[in-house]
Amino acid sequence: MIEVLRSGLATFFVYALAAIFAQNAVFSRSLGVSRLLKLVDDPAMDTLLFSGLLCIVQVLSSMIGYGLNQLFLPWTLGDGRWYLRPVLLVAATVITFFIVMFAVATIFKKRKSLTRVAAALPAATFNCCVLGTLLLMANKNYTLLQTLGFALGTAVGYMLAALLVAESQRTLHSRNLPQSFRGLPATLVYLGILALALYGFTGQMLTI
Amino acid sequence: MKKEHLKYIHQHMDRIGRRDRVFLNNPVVMQGIGLTPVVAAAVNLQNAAVLSMMVILMLTLTRVLAALICRTSFVGLRAVIYTSISTVVYLGAVFVTQLVFGGSLLQSIGIYLPLLIIDPIIIKRYVRPQKEKVSTALYKGVLTTVGFVLVILLVGALRELLGTGTLFGFKIFSDAPIPIAQMAAGGFIVMGLVAAIWRSLANLFKKHVNMGVKKL
Repeated sequence: MIEVLRSGLATFFVYALAAIFAQNAVFSRSLGVSRLLKLVDDPAMDTLLFSGLLCIVQVLSSMIGYGLNQLFLPWTLGDGRWYLRPVLLVAATVITFFIVMFAVATIFKKRKSLTRVAAALPAATFNCCVLGTLLLMANKNYTLLQTLGFALGTAVGYMLAALLVAESQRTLHSRNLPQSFRGLPATLVYLGILALALYGFTGQMLTI
Repeated sequence: MKKEHLKYIHQHMDRIGRRDRVFLNNPVVMQGIGLTPVVAAAVNLQNAAVLSMMVILMLTLTRVLAALICRTSFVGLRAVIYTSISTVVYLGAVFVTQLVFGGSLLQSIGIYLPLLIIDPIIIKRYVRPQKEKVSTALYKGVLTTVGFVLVILLVGALRELLGTGTLFGFKIFSDAPIPIAQMAAGGFIVMGLVAAIWRSLANLFKKHVNMGVKKL
């Protein structure tokens, strides 16, 4: 019993760690970069709140997506029907959105905090990072434990990337930079150099 | 440039700068929307062409259908409606693209093809609660598509040339000048440089107009 538990935990943490560093959603696959850049630019959006919501949505939708994928496996396995799988996973994110929305509406009674969460939730749910990870896991046929570990790791990795980019923003908008590099171009080059540093940790691999 | 034309551009520079989605306010280069397919998937011209065709088929149609159907101003519900519409449009677009390019090429792009369903370039309009007129949706959709296609083809060509030394599969250089351009890190850096050059060109254009008007 303990052996089974131990090997299960090991799988979970190995996949979570891989998703945080070696296969970071932002640096190795550039999932959700547009949203990330908007997030750090927008003072009204709380990075921590967004990341927390993304974490909840990612884990919950990965479970629902796993269930739907297993349920409809014979239906999507056919030769010319590979493009039907994304529809299932989009359905999983939509279901997750309604579940989280309902949960938030029952937990938060105060109107102010409810509107804050409701404003951040669509951006956290309908996000390339969430759907991209679901697609990746479905294509690689992960088990439930691997799926959970990878989903949690992806969300944490995304938060890490958001913090790294938010930290750099003051320097990257500085007047010492040439005008055409200021802002977005400098941030993109910065992200590229960070991604190179991560390749240094893990060895290079192709993204697709 | 003609005098009247120059004067008109100078007077309305702010408005033109905001509305021109091809050059002065390009969605990818200026606003940073739709970077995921450009940075990760556009490693060569062929992939860029497939993604361009998908966006051409999906973007305008999704926006027009959403302008027709979406009646609510609640952002969460709008997001669900936009995503559902783009999923349906995606199925049709994938069918047509498959007929043109063949299924194996589409599958080689992997997760980035279905990711277009949820990409901000397709569904970004949901964040604004105001209702959109169908004619505006059509006009803006076409312009945004042109802007996106220009950038993705440019970046795809540059990355193929730098990363493998070929262009559309034909050999240009004997060996690859900068192989890192094929990876995501290279994609970020190439996209950053393209954005910087594009922005400096836009600034030059504005400067040119201002100088031209002063000389009149």
